[in-house]
Amino acid sequence: MTLEIANLSWGHPLPGGGWRQLFDDFNLSCQSGQFVVVIGNNGSGKSTLLNLIAGTLRLGGGSITLGERPLHRYRDHRRARWLGRVMQNPLEGTCPGLSIAENLRLAERRRRSGLSAQGLLGLRPSQADRRRYRDLLEQLGIPLAARLDTLVGELSGGQRQTLSLVMATLGAPELLLLDEHTAALDPKAEATVMGLTEQLVRQLGATTFMVTHSLEQALQYGDRLVMLRDGQLIGDWSAEARAGLTPASLRGLYGSAIVGPTEQNSAHAPAAP
Amino acid sequence: MLTLWLGAYDQGLAYAGLALGTYLTLRVLNFPDLTVDGSFALGGGTAAVLISKGVPVPMALLVAFGFGCLAGLATGLIHTRLGVNDLFAGILTTTGLYSITLRLMGRSNIPLTDTPHGIDRLPDLSAGFDDEWCLALSLVVLGLGLILGLLLSTDFGLALRALGNNPTMARANGINQRRGLNIGIAAANGLVGLSGALVALFQGFADVTMGIGSLILGLGMVIIGESILRPRSVPMALVAAVLGAVVFRGLIAVALALGLEPVDLKLVTAVLLLVALAAGRLRIPGLSAQSRSES
Repeated sequence: MTLEIANLSWGHPLPGGGWRQLFDDFNLSCQSGQFVVVIGNNGSGKSTLLNLIAGTLRLGGGSITLGERPLHRYRDHRRARWLGRVMQNPLEGTCPGLSIAENLRLAERRRRSGLSAQGLLGLRPSQADRRRYRDLLEQLGIPLAARLDTLVGELSGGQRQTLSLVMATLGAPELLLLDEHTAALDPKAEATVMGLTEQLVRQLGATTFMVTHSLEQALQYGDRLVMLRDGQLIGDWSAEARAGLTPASLRGLYGSAIVGPTEQNSAHAPAAP
Repeated sequence: MLTLWLGAYDQGLAYAGLALGTYLTLRVLNFPDLTVDGSFALGGGTAAVLISKGVPVPMALLVAFGFGCLAGLATGLIHTRLGVNDLFAGILTTTGLYSITLRLMGRSNIPLTDTPHGIDRLPDLSAGFDDEWCLALSLVVLGLGLILGLLLSTDFGLALRALGNNPTMARANGINQRRGLNIGIAAANGLVGLSGALVALFQGFADVTMGIGSLILGLGMVIIGESILRPRSVPMALVAAVLGAVVFRGLIAVALALGLEPVDLKLVTAVLLLVALAAGRLRIPGLSAQSRSES
């Protein structure tokens, strides 16, 4: 699905009084299936942007449209029907007190939550569900297939984040939001999770937003790289344009003026519906 | 001594609804629901009024359950719609319920010893153990436990458990937090109302103050059951809650047999709970510093 962010505005009160307008008339549009990597220094609005899309923060103004759908008109749990999310903290994206199979079941029901009369029919996860999850995990090469009944709280951070990633891609989401989802992991787990991310994103074909602090990741993954500073788009590169960049040059840009986002933007105009 | 424990079994089963309700709000939903104190008395009072007016006992129990649900729903709505803190929402409802229960009863205490004829035989207080009563209660509690256990194993129950476990994750997976809390708290208080009615039946009277300390009592039962069985699944946790209720009443019975006055019971309850807490060093979700994010 195409994602169209138009005239977005959002601000927050400052602790000492006063107001900070982070986003003011912010625009960004992504083609269907595009894998967008978002970078920027602390406080640039990367995570805020994802939270505004997910609905955990309320828009000050403007619109967020997914395909034909005015996403900003729905509350967060309604948006979850079309959104898969992986959070930065491995503790946030999963239920520690539920088993792996139960967590997967919750994610699978994302489009039609269990809190309905229909959710009362049948004991879950059923044997068929478990077989499906085992096959899925085996197929992805995740060594959790034999541990479906293990409580997620007993898993390591890397394992939880792997599970969280698989969960985010269940239930056919149209948009995937990855919020620095490898930031809390050690290098080995990070490589595993990133490999899986690439694989799942390609498989799913969903439009993807990945926020990252790692400039190496930014240069390696995705179809498009955007850079934020103070709620403004200060850099926008296609995969080809990105080839000329290095971590050092990106780091240099963090503090510099706007680098030609306008002509890059036109290259990423939304495809005809 | 056997009579004492069999009496505790009966009483424990009457209190099992309270233990199950507390388990549902505190352990499943992670919601410290003080409405329990109000809905316990509301259930007892309602049942006492109805039975003394000649309404069949099962019908009276059903109405007590329904009223408990309404009380819980009130708290749920105050919390989810008006954004009032969970503890305050419960206290608000309980405070209001005191007057409502008193109005309903017409006086602060209704004895059930002189009920009209044609009503099911009420248990003999002094005997402590009564075959029919014991069997009926066992069936009611077994049925309740079974229904609750099955419900918590469906997608619906899974959603409720996810809400208590990690609300952020639950919402990110399409679960409506408001709806989940409202339904869960209502159901829990329904169970507590039913338990209040059974306890009123058992002790032979309903009193407007009978609900004081119910949440703590229920928590004590849940914790004792958990420390005995160490449950790792929901069905086992339900069994543990019921077992906890029976053991707790047993300990109270022992305390009474040792010569303690009924007046001291609340203090004994508090001390027992304190001992259970200190011994197990068990977590109390909702009552610990952990906070819940709310949309």
